[in-house]
Amino acid sequence: MHTQYQEFMRKMLLKRYLPSITLLSAFLLAAGVANAQYKISGTVLDNNDKPVRGANVYLENTIDGGTADSMGIFRFTTSEKGNQTIVASEVSHENAGLPIVITGDVSGIVIHMKINKVRDLDVVTITAGSFDASNDKSKTVLKPLDIVTTAGANADVVKAIEMLPGTQQTGADNGLFVRGGDASEASILVDEMVVQNAFFSGPPGVSTRSRFGAFQYQGVSFSSGGYSARYGQALSSVLELTSTDLPDKSTVNLGINMAGIYASGTKKWKNSALDIGGNYNNLTPFYGLATTNFNFFSVPVGGGGNVRYTWKPNKDGIFKATFNSSYTQSGITVPNSFYGIPDTLIRDSVTRKLSQMGQNINFLTKDQYYYSNVSYRQLYKDKYSLYTAASYSLDKTNNTFGDIPIDEQDHRAQFRIEGKDYFTSRLNLMVGGEVQSYGISKNFNDSFKQSFTETQVAGYTELEWTPINLIAFRPGVRYEHSVLLNKDDVAPRLSMAIKTGHHSQISVATGIFYQDADNTYLLAGLRPDFQRSTHYIINWQYSNDNRTLRLEAYYKHYDNLILEHSATPFDPNLYRTITPATSVDNSGYGYAQGLELFYRDKKTVKNLDYWVSYSYIDTKRKYENFPVSATPTFIATNNLSLVGKYFVEKWQTNFSMTYSYASGRPYYNPNTVGDDSRFLSDKAPNYNNLAISVAYLHSFGKWFTVFYLSVDNVTNNHNIFGYRYQYDATGLVTTPIVPALYRSIFFGVNMSLTQFKKDEL
Amino acid sequence: MKKIILLGAVALAVTSAQAQDFKAVEEKTFLAFDTTQDLATKVEQSNKLSLIAKKWDNEWSAHYYASYSKAVISYMEKDASKRDAYLDEAEKEQEDAVSILKKNNDETFVLAAMIANARMAVDPMQRWQKYGQIFSSDLESAKDLNPDNPRMYYLQGVSKYFTPKAYGGGKSPALPYFEKAEGLFAKETGKDITMPHWGKDKTQYFLAQCKQGD
Repeated sequence: MHTQYQEFMRKMLLKRYLPSITLLSAFLLAAGVANAQYKISGTVLDNNDKPVRGANVYLENTIDGGTADSMGIFRFTTSEKGNQTIVASEVSHENAGLPIVITGDVSGIVIHMKINKVRDLDVVTITAGSFDASNDKSKTVLKPLDIVTTAGANADVVKAIEMLPGTQQTGADNGLFVRGGDASEASILVDEMVVQNAFFSGPPGVSTRSRFGAFQYQGVSFSSGGYSARYGQALSSVLELTSTDLPDKSTVNLGINMAGIYASGTKKWKNSALDIGGNYNNLTPFYGLATTNFNFFSVPVGGGGNVRYTWKPNKDGIFKATFNSSYTQSGITVPNSFYGIPDTLIRDSVTRKLSQMGQNINFLTKDQYYYSNVSYRQLYKDKYSLYTAASYSLDKTNNTFGDIPIDEQDHRAQFRIEGKDYFTSRLNLMVGGEVQSYGISKNFNDSFKQSFTETQVAGYTELEWTPINLIAFRPGVRYEHSVLLNKDDVAPRLSMAIKTGHHSQISVATGIFYQDADNTYLLAGLRPDFQRSTHYIINWQYSNDNRTLRLEAYYKHYDNLILEHSATPFDPNLYRTITPATSVDNSGYGYAQGLELFYRDKKTVKNLDYWVSYSYIDTKRKYENFPVSATPTFIATNNLSLVGKYFVEKWQTNFSMTYSYASGRPYYNPNTVGDDSRFLSDKAPNYNNLAISVAYLHSFGKWFTVFYLSVDNVTNNHNIFGYRYQYDATGLVTTPIVPALYRSIFFGVNMSLTQFKKDEL
Repeated sequence: MKKIILLGAVALAVTSAQAQDFKAVEEKTFLAFDTTQDLATKVEQSNKLSLIAKKWDNEWSAHYYASYSKAVISYMEKDASKRDAYLDEAEKEQEDAVSILKKNNDETFVLAAMIANARMAVDPMQRWQKYGQIFSSDLESAKDLNPDNPRMYYLQGVSKYFTPKAYGGGKSPALPYFEKAEGLFAKETGKDITMPHWGKDKTQYFLAQCKQGD
């Protein structure tokens, strides 16, 4: 219509039929009145009657609209009339609409809008028992970078996890000790594949780093219980690491510190990348600067290399292949824990030979480690995903204990296939299967050999269902078969979460978990049944605007633990030999219960980020060679960590501080022999550690450089983790179990170059 | 009489143009948005751009500008959750633009990069890792489609400009990007509003800042 008028008008004007259009103009004016502009005005308020500034108020299906001012007042004009719908929309409110009838100007309209659209962020997530650190999920408590910058962790992922609730501080042992479980009960996984020998090998009593540097992983998920049906063979905990996807740039990275030098390079093509890295470690400068509590006759040295290829064949697929190898060697003089053992405790020829050796012995360890992992994940049509992965690792250790060679070779091969069907965004089903074969062979003095190979086959399925934003369910079940034991088990799991407010939620998790007997029993040819634990966890989390409070309570029941039956008294020697003649069964049992608190605040003070983690635990068990049910030596009833980080923008410097406390741990006192009520009832002193670290960031041209300095145990507190008793000429003597170093100082520099692409401009 | 007739004709022409001429409405609203520095006016014009995108639902550029305007506002807003809410809208409109086009063009990639950068700006310490990666990969994709898109270099320049010196940012590292952008802006005719051409004046501003040195 209008176009016709326009065309008509143009012709009229062009032809200057002026006199004859007087009448027409009168008609036009009338049309103008019919096309009158009506004034529409009113106010937009939220459910607290506060004005909604910036709200877009308009008539539906038109572009006639206005914007609410700071008083919530809007006004606009329209030529529409009759029955209309007026709509208000604003980014942080839900849309609101009202029917109105326009017959003339309309004023005094009041539109009420509800605050807070339900965004993805507000969908409940299951948090019972788990801490996720990921860059992808918006609702995580930790980011991978938080781990790198935690003082006292020295960029070791596992060490940083010890600053979270549910874990025990370690200083003389390797591994994660979670909720009453020993190190063997926690499984460490990379890209869903079990990592055998997750820690660098070292002499007994010296705790070593885990093999995982924080920068290689984009996601870290720590479960202190109630974990997914995807995993098994861990009575207590799983720590999942997800390796980084395709890097975004080509990079060269160089570093030097008190423990060695390293270099790595990444070449990035359009859809693929190759990383190559190498390192040489020598702890001479590190140990040289402090007094070590051990006599290192061979200071730890080593080296390693890694190659990694990532390929993104399409938008929704990622292929990763990794190969690592490393070599380490170190030697210390250790007290011979077999020395002078009375004949009554000697059960085998190995023990006899060792007991006849000197009081102090040089222990040398050489370790070769190879690890490879290949995985491919593909999402199809946003509806199905398929993940396949295979891994293989080999760890060869050649130890010499005095002049006795002790060789050990561990291997593990694993294959996993897993599919997921996303029926809707609220319902998905995972189905998967895995096969793993692992084994250890030990050769003592070329005469006494032990070995086993275990193959485990498992299938699992898990449903994730979020019927409404407020509730989520995750039931799952896992079937496992052990070829070595010729046993099967079925492990059901269930977790749920419900929102209790805008910022708070409650999660619960429960499940049954099975695990083979410890390797020492399997090596001896003993084949007891699976051990079992049952978890019950409840968790409340409040999270708002960079402040998070978590409270968690749990009860964990252990049964079918391995128990030795022996006529001889309790032998506290960790390295005591288990022989095929040792009588064991699954009559061991135990429990753990506790309360945990985590509070993190990144908000109150600008650039300050701190968290508090506290765990209380009550646990007892009767297992291995315990004569009665008791709290094991790796348990501190109270564990506290305070972690603080402060970034001074002006100085481009990050300060980080961690204080850790653990109450005294039980130790075995031989004077209690015969009095079972006093078994492991003595407690070592409390553990205190203050660690600080400083990182200064600077760019030298195109080289981004970080200088870092960290001091562990600033106060040089002489922490004692327990005591060992040994026989010498005079009888029993006490040796405290101490870390390799009290106070230690570590510094280094890392340089990276990412901007050498000439074609960027 | 002659005047009245003319007036009437003009009035009619304007209303019909408003109702019909998508390009004119888009151009007028976008210019009103782009030329003001006042947040309230920006919000008002951005609201209009949203309505335009609603009405001309099949025009990719309508969704493009609605998205762009939300991303710009998110930089100006103070409240972090509101900034993210604006970016949610920006993402939605960007996705609409792409689905109309059936696939990304260089401008939608540049826009996606800009949204990623705005996401990062809400909480840089926590987000640089994730969104920095998205930012550069989107710009790389844009470059594959059209290496002469000046907004690409403009965004890289801005990102460099605001990166702390310790991380290799600052005025002098940013300068070459703005210079590159300036050269490419000179080639843009800027006649058709449905072919995005924003960024020229902002580039001039940053160029002047960068030339003052660190």
